[in-house]
Amino acid sequence: MFAQLVASGLVQGSIYAVIALGMTVLFRSTGVVHFGYGAFFMAGAFAVYVFSQVVGMAFVLAFLAAVAVLVLVGMAFERVLVRPIVHGPHVTVAMMTVAMSYLLTGVARFFWGQEVLRMPPIVDVPPIFVGSIVLTAQDLLIIAGCMALVVAFFLFFARTKLGKLMQAASQVPRGAALVGINVPGFHMAMWGVVAGIAAVAGTLVAPVTMLYPDMGAHLLIKAFAAMTFGGFGNLGGAVLGGLLIGLAEQLAGFYISTALIDIFAYLVIIVVLIVLPNGILGKKEATRV
Amino acid sequence: MSDISSPTSRTGTWTRASGDMPRAVLVLAALVAALAPLGLNEYWRFVASMMLIYTLVTLGFNILLGYLGQLAFANVAFFGVGAYAATIAMNGGLNFIPGILVGGIGGGIAGFLVGIPALRIRNYQLAIVTLATGELLRWLYIHGGSITQGSSGLEVPPMTLAGLQITTEIGKYWVFLAFTILCLAVTRNLLRSSVGRAIVSVRESEAISLGLGMHAAGFRILAFVWSGALVGVAGGMYACLLGRITPESFGLTQLLVHFSMVMVGGLGSFVGSIFGALLLTAIPETLRNFPGLEEIVFSLLLILVLRFVPEGIGGFLGARISGLRDRFFGGKP
Repeated sequence: MFAQLVASGLVQGSIYAVIALGMTVLFRSTGVVHFGYGAFFMAGAFAVYVFSQVVGMAFVLAFLAAVAVLVLVGMAFERVLVRPIVHGPHVTVAMMTVAMSYLLTGVARFFWGQEVLRMPPIVDVPPIFVGSIVLTAQDLLIIAGCMALVVAFFLFFARTKLGKLMQAASQVPRGAALVGINVPGFHMAMWGVVAGIAAVAGTLVAPVTMLYPDMGAHLLIKAFAAMTFGGFGNLGGAVLGGLLIGLAEQLAGFYISTALIDIFAYLVIIVVLIVLPNGILGKKEATRV
Repeated sequence: MSDISSPTSRTGTWTRASGDMPRAVLVLAALVAALAPLGLNEYWRFVASMMLIYTLVTLGFNILLGYLGQLAFANVAFFGVGAYAATIAMNGGLNFIPGILVGGIGGGIAGFLVGIPALRIRNYQLAIVTLATGELLRWLYIHGGSITQGSSGLEVPPMTLAGLQITTEIGKYWVFLAFTILCLAVTRNLLRSSVGRAIVSVRESEAISLGLGMHAAGFRILAFVWSGALVGVAGGMYACLLGRITPESFGLTQLLVHFSMVMVGGLGSFVGSIFGALLLTAIPETLRNFPGLEEIVFSLLLILVLRFVPEGIGGFLGARISGLRDRFFGGKP
């Protein structure tokens, strides 16, 4: 039973990890904490649904179309809503992302009401048995897809020139602009990229959780918890935090009480942050007075 | 990375209270507030009561977000604690007036408990801890057994005054108006006293406040307690108005509404908190029958305010009408 719980914890945790990673990447590259990221995830899942079930495209095409739409939506949001106010107080920018989330959720609810939509599985093969563990193909796809995204991001930031440019643009925007980096352009590109990631995550998860307008909201808090848990703004910490929260939920849900499955993550966060305010991988920040 | 130590801090000069609102205007405003609902139907009188409740909720939230400048999102936790504490007290036989005050005390205690970790945790870490606190409490209401009656929630006994049951919406409204005016008056005086100035100075620079010999931690805790108490009173009123409270009333959606009211009203603006609450209570009510449309209109309004009037209604009006100017509200953000 333990192995099964670990397996399902990892599946759940890798979803949290990807969403936390997307938020961390955006925070690291633009300094914005995106409270509407759960809605991007939801919008990605709905876009795939619309393209594949309503329009009737083949799955791969629908998936690509959904990612493309979300990338455009992300870039448009940055250009139209975030860029004009990005120099204001942080809380105003944060509120703008909340408003975005509201808007996307409202649009989804307006067109698809309160009903829960079903999304057929991406691959239709019977579950796989590994010893005593049962894994569906969808589970494996989620883990593989999420881990591929994680690895791709680490390589991007650590190894590519573009990744380094992005880090420069976020750390010293003025200096980066002076050496000829198009900082606003980079920010817009990053919004597009993270929206695309959200669409991929939404596509992977939709067949398991099904589709409803509020599907992003709770995922957002879990992801937010994951990134804070791991150390805010730390890429590895976001992934580790996501996996640990997924595992902790499953184990606490089985060994302590099923009622705890919804809340265990929050308990962990409160305790960890009171003891370690910078998260498990975070460094202590010195404040300049 | 840019400075996130004080998400709401503003540079610019502090505006002196160049002209206080004349007392006659305040009396007139109170009279209008008392008499205007007579011209409304029952449903809109109910909405008017909601406006009063949200006024206190927004003001309480604004003390933490705007005046103290902390990303503390435990507002819905204070609201829920206030509602549950008041309801449990009233079910225990207390009259609604002390009952609502019990809500305020409960909210204040919740504020104190959240304020202590907030001395150590700041910024986004504080945001997630306070969000988690709200969700944790909602979970407790669902799993609280006979005390909270789970998802079906608690029945609230009817309001009685001097042996008479208050059944009409206008009667409830007048009672709530009395509570609201009292809370507004006390809060306004508190914010304009040395305590309010100290809270704002902690927002602007904790180091300087400490250097001046202020007990910064004490003022932080005080702001949390006062915020919790105001929102707790609102929670007690909310329970009395609805007659039944359920855990789902105290979730994330509720928090987003509170947050939006503060932002539309203007961070750190007293009058803005009132206007934000009035506006954002009225608009969704007119669209309640169209699923999704409510959220769309709400979000578009928020987007327009944030994009074009980021200082909020309070800041916008304060720049034009000297009597509405907030002493601690710096010019443009």
